[in-house]
Amino acid sequence: MRFVLRRLGFFLLTLWAALTLNFALPRLMPGNPAVAMIAKFKGGVSPQALHTLEVQFGVNTRHSVISQYFSYLKDVATGNFGTSLSEYPASVGHIIMQAIFWTLGLVGLTTVLAFIFGTLIGIVGAWRRGGVLDSVMPPVFVITSVVPYFWLGLVLILIFGVKLHWLPYINSYSYTDTPGFTLSFIWDVIQHAILPAFTLLITTIGTWILTMRNTMITTLADDYVRMARAKGLSSRRIMFDYAARNAILPNLTGFAMSLGFVLGGAILVEYVFNYQGVGFWLLAAVNNDDYPLMQALFLLITVAVLVAILLSDIATAILDPRTRDAG
Amino acid sequence: MAMIIPGGTTEPAVPIELTGLGPSAGRSGRSRSPALRALAGMGKAVRSNRKASWGAGLLLFFCLVTIVTAIVSHGNPNQTGQFKVGLGPSWHHLLGTNGNGEDLFSQVIWGARPVLEIAFGVGLASTGIAVLVGVAAAYLGGIWDNVLSLLTDILLVIPLFPLLIVIAGYLNGASTGVMIAVLTLTGWSFTARQLRSQALSLRKRDFLEAARVRGERPIYIIIVEIIPTMTSLLVASFLTNALYAVLFSSSLQFIGLGDPNQVSWGTMLRAAENNEAFQTGQTLWIIAPGLCIVALGAAFALLNYAFDEVGNPALRPVRRQKQPRSLRRTSATS
Amino acid sequence: MRRLIKYGVVLASCGVLAAACSSSSSSSGGKGTSTASGVLTIDNESGGNWTCDFNPFNLSDISFSLGNVYEPLVFVDTLNDAKTTPWLATSYAWSNGNKTLTFTIRNGVKFTNGDPLTAADVVYTFNLLRQNKTLDINAVWSVLSSVSQQGSDQVVMQFKAPAVTYFYYIADQIGIVDSKVWSKISDPVKYPDTNPIGTGPYEVSSTTCTPQNIKYTANPNYWVKGEPKVGTVNYPAFLTNDTANTFLSAGNAQWGSQFIPDISTFLKAQPAIKWWFPPVANVSMFINLKNPLLSNVAVRQAMAYAIDRQKAASIGEFGEEPASNQTGIVTPTFSSWLDSSQAAQFGNNYAYNPKKAISILKNAGFTMGSNGIFAKNGQPLSFTIINNGGFSDWVNAVNVIVADLKAVGIQVTPQDLSQTTYQDKLYAGQFQLGYGSETGGPSPYFELRQWLYSANSAPIGTPAGSNFERYASTATDKLINEYPATTNPATQQQIVDQLEKVMLADVPVIPVTESVDWFQYDTASFSGWPTPGDPYAQPAAYNYPDWGQVMLHLTPAK
Repeated sequence: MRFVLRRLGFFLLTLWAALTLNFALPRLMPGNPAVAMIAKFKGGVSPQALHTLEVQFGVNTRHSVISQYFSYLKDVATGNFGTSLSEYPASVGHIIMQAIFWTLGLVGLTTVLAFIFGTLIGIVGAWRRGGVLDSVMPPVFVITSVVPYFWLGLVLILIFGVKLHWLPYINSYSYTDTPGFTLSFIWDVIQHAILPAFTLLITTIGTWILTMRNTMITTLADDYVRMARAKGLSSRRIMFDYAARNAILPNLTGFAMSLGFVLGGAILVEYVFNYQGVGFWLLAAVNNDDYPLMQALFLLITVAVLVAILLSDIATAILDPRTRDAG
Repeated sequence: MAMIIPGGTTEPAVPIELTGLGPSAGRSGRSRSPALRALAGMGKAVRSNRKASWGAGLLLFFCLVTIVTAIVSHGNPNQTGQFKVGLGPSWHHLLGTNGNGEDLFSQVIWGARPVLEIAFGVGLASTGIAVLVGVAAAYLGGIWDNVLSLLTDILLVIPLFPLLIVIAGYLNGASTGVMIAVLTLTGWSFTARQLRSQALSLRKRDFLEAARVRGERPIYIIIVEIIPTMTSLLVASFLTNALYAVLFSSSLQFIGLGDPNQVSWGTMLRAAENNEAFQTGQTLWIIAPGLCIVALGAAFALLNYAFDEVGNPALRPVRRQKQPRSLRRTSATS
Repeated sequence: MRRLIKYGVVLASCGVLAAACSSSSSSSGGKGTSTASGVLTIDNESGGNWTCDFNPFNLSDISFSLGNVYEPLVFVDTLNDAKTTPWLATSYAWSNGNKTLTFTIRNGVKFTNGDPLTAADVVYTFNLLRQNKTLDINAVWSVLSSVSQQGSDQVVMQFKAPAVTYFYYIADQIGIVDSKVWSKISDPVKYPDTNPIGTGPYEVSSTTCTPQNIKYTANPNYWVKGEPKVGTVNYPAFLTNDTANTFLSAGNAQWGSQFIPDISTFLKAQPAIKWWFPPVANVSMFINLKNPLLSNVAVRQAMAYAIDRQKAASIGEFGEEPASNQTGIVTPTFSSWLDSSQAAQFGNNYAYNPKKAISILKNAGFTMGSNGIFAKNGQPLSFTIINNGGFSDWVNAVNVIVADLKAVGIQVTPQDLSQTTYQDKLYAGQFQLGYGSETGGPSPYFELRQWLYSANSAPIGTPAGSNFERYASTATDKLINEYPATTNPATQQQIVDQLEKVMLADVPVIPVTESVDWFQYDTASFSGWPTPGDPYAQPAAYNYPDWGQVMLHLTPAK
C-alpha cells in the first residue's frame, strides 16, 4: 500500500511538472497567433484584419502571469482546454476527440501487433540458439530499429503507392467516404492503415524481438529450466510454460508503458501519410502558433504516459510482492 | 550493460530499461584499472565480434569522410543553381544533381558533418550531465538524492519527441549548436538513472571504503574511484545518446524545424520532399541521405549491441551444432 | 479601362451570371434544376483537417463559404481591371462626393431555407459587423458611418470620408446572411455555422463535411437557372504541400492551387492538366528604414541595381513566378498602370546593373575594404536578411540575392527562421532586411498603399499592418488619402504614377519576384476555366469569393 501511495505521489508531482512546463513553454517563446493566421491566407485578407484577430485571440491582454497560471490550472482541472486559434472557433476538445480515435486505432493496434509478433519471434529465436534465425536476427533487427520511420514511410509510399498503385497512402480513409459502421468504410480504413502500420511495425518490432530473445536466453540458463529439461518435458512445453512465461514478465511491464507512448509515438508517420491523428494535429498546431491546441495535445500525450506508468507500477506491485517493499 | 535498441524515432523505449539491467562492469577492482579493462574488452570486441567490427568500420568511414571534406573543400554544396538541374548519376556527379542544380553527392558528403557533430556533441554532453547528476545523487544521498532522482524521473517520463517538436518549433531554425543543446537537455535522464543505480551498488564497496578511510575527498573518490568502474556503462550511454541524436535531429530537420541553409541529411530529405523528388524522378535525393542516416545509426546501434554481448557472455552468438542439439538430445533421452 | 470603379455605373451588362438577366429559359426561378452533374475535386494544402465551420465572418472559415455558399453584393475581378459583375446587388452608385454608396438588391433570390433575400438582410449583415467588431475582418466600419434601407430594395451606405477603394472590401468581401437566422444566434462571434444557410450555388452541412473532406452539393433551387452545372465539389484536407501535390499528380483532383516545383516534369503523367499562374502582388525585400545605414537612399538604390531579379525568379521559383520591377506594378496583370517613361529615367526601371550599383556606393562616399565589403566611417555594409525558412523557394531566391549583393560589396547573411519567429520579426520591424510579401488588391494602389501608408506602420517592436519597412512621408500619405476620393481614372492614374515615383526614387522596398495565384486545371473533365484570355476571376481555390465564380463557369465534359 505504501508503495502504491508513493507511486501516486510521484504521479501527481510529475503531472504538476508537466502542467507547469506546458504553461511556461508558449509564454517563454515568441509568436503571435494573429500574425500566423494572416500569413495562412495567401492573400485576400487586408492588413486591417491583424488588429481584429489580436482582439479575437486575446493576444496582448494584460493579466499577470500568476493569475494566468491559476486560471490555466483551473481550466485544465475542469477539462476546459479553450478554443483553437487556428481553427477558431472550434473547441480544442472537439478536435482532440476526433484525432485521438485515429491514433489509438493505428498506433495502438500496431504496438500490440509488434509486441505479440516480436515476442513470439524472440522466443523461437532464443530457443533455437545457434540456428539460422538466431544468428541472422540480431544484426538485422538492430538495423531495422534505427531506420527513421518517416524515411521508411516515404520509401514505402514510393514503391507501393506511387509506382505500383497497390495501396492508398494519403489520409485515414478515402476523402469521399462518409464515416460509418459500414463494411465498405471499414475496409477502406483498413486499406489506408496498411502502409503506415507496416512502417511502424518494421521499425518497432526489432526492439521486442531482441529484448525477448535476450531475456529468454538468460532464463534458459536458469536452474528451473534445466530441471524441466531433466524431467524430460516436451520442448514446446519448456519453451512456453517455463522459460517464456518467466522471461516475458519484464517485457509485459514494458509493453504496458509503451501503450502510454502510443499517442505521441508516431507523429512523423501521421505527417508523412497525412493521417489525421494526434501527431498530425500537434504539427499543425505548432505551425500555426495555436497554443491552446498545442498545450492540450502535449498534455494529453504526457498524461497518457504517466497513467500507463502508474498502472504498470501498480500491476507490478500486485504481481510481484518483492517490489512492494523495495518501493 | 544495458541494451538499448530504439524503435525508430519513437520515445526512448522505457520498457527496455527494465530488462536485464544488472550492472556488470567493475565487479572487482584488482590489479588493472577497471576502465582500461573495459576498454580493452571493447577493443577486442571490435576485432573479434563481427557486429562490432561493422559498427566501428561504418563510424570510422563517416568520420574520415567528414575530415577529408573539411580539408579538401569544394565550396558551398548548397549553392543553388551551380550545375544543370536534374542530371543523372555520372562520373562528374556520382549521385546526379537535384532540381535546384545542386550536386547530391557533395551534399551527402557535406551533410555528414553536422550529423556527426550533433551525434558526438549530444553523446558526450548528455553522458556528462548524466554522470554528474547520477553519481552525485547516489554519492551525496539524502535530500540531494531525492531531488535529483525526482528531476531525473520526471524528465524521463515526459514524452521527448513531442516536447522537442514544441521547443524546436519556437527556436530560430535550430542550428547545430541549438540542436545539440536541446537534445542534450532533454535526453540525459535515462543514463543518469542507470548511473545512479550503478553508483549506489558501489557505495559500500571495499575499495571505496578504503579510499574514504585514506581521507580522500569526495570529488577525488567520484572521479578516480567510481567513474572508471562505469566505463562500459558510459560508452553504452554515449552510443545510445548519439544514436538518438542522429534520429531525432534528422526527424526535426525533416519536418522543417532545422536550419534550412545547413546541409545535412535531414534537411536534404526536407528539401527533397518539398521539391517532390519522387514524383519528378529524383529518387536518389531521398534514398541517399536516408541510407546514410540508417548506416550511421546502425554503426552506433551495432557497436552498442556488440559491447552488450561482450558484457553478457550468454548473449554471444554460438556456433551451430554446439550446445543446443546435444542438449536437446539429452533432454529427449533422459 | 483601368478605372477601379466608374462613377454612378448601373450594371446593365450581364457578365458571369448571364442567365439571371437574359431570359434564357422559360419558367421562373430555376426550381428543381437537377441537371447538375459531375464531381469536381479541389487540391489545396490546408495545413490541417477541416473543422467544418462555415461562419463567413470568421477568418478561418471565410475561404470555405464565401462565394459558393454565401454570396457578396458585387464581384470585383482583380485580374481584369477591377471589372465589376453584379451578384446579389443588381446595381450600385456612388454619390455625394463618393461618400454615399447605394446598392439595389436583386429580387427573387432565396436562401436555402426558403427565406427570400431582402434589402433588410443586407442592412442586418452590415450592422452585425458594426456590433461585433471581431467579425468585421476588413474593418469596413472604420470608414462607414451608417447603413440603412431605402425603399423596398435599396441599401444606402454613408461614409465618413470618400471611400472608393473600400468598395472592394464592402461589395466583394462580405457575404450576406439571413437576418431571420442570425438574429437568433446569441454569440455570432463564436458561432461555428456548421449548417450554413446562404444564397449561393452550393450547399454544405455537418452531414456532408468530414474532417478530411468538405463536400459541397449543388443548390437545386439556385437563383440562376441552369446553374451550377457541376453537381458536387469535394475539398479534401492536406497537411503538407507534398501530399497535396502527389494527390494531383495521381489524377485525383481537377482543380489545383498548389506550388509545384518543376511542374512540367511533375505533371507529365497528366497531360490534360494545364496551369496558369497570374501574378497578383510582389515578393519583396523589405529594408528597415530605421536602420542608420539602410536609411541612406544610396545604399538602397545600389541594392536595387545589384539584384538580378530574373535570376531570383528562375532559380528560386523555377520561373513559375515572374521577376518584379522597382515600380511595384505587377505585370502583366496591371501593365496599363506602369508609367514606363518615368521608370526609364531610373536606369531602365533598375534593370540589373552591378557596375552602376558600385558607382552609386562610391559616389555616396563608401570605400571598399580589403575584405571586399564597402564601408563608410568604419561601418561596413553588412546586414542580415530574415526569411521564412519553411518556404524552400524563398530560401533559394534569397541565396541568389545574397550572392548578387556580395558581388557589389554588400555582405548579407541569410537568417532562415521558423515561420513564427520570422513573422514576428517582420511585423515588429525587428530586422535589417526581410524577404516577404503583401496581399495586394484589385489594383496596384492597394499594394502601394500597404507598403507606403504610414498608418500601416508602427513603432519598432509593435506589429505593423503591412508597412514593415516603416516608411513614413506626409506627402505620400496625402497622395494615398486622395485616391479614395476619386472615381476618375485619369486622376487615379496620376496618383499611382506619383506613388511609383516614390518607389523609384526612395526605394523603401525592393520588389524581387511576383507572387502569383497557383492554379492547375484539368481540361479533360471540365471546361470553362479562367484563362489568360478570359481572366474572369482569380483562379485559385483559396481565392474567395472568386472560387464561387469559377464554380459557376464550369461545365462537366460529357
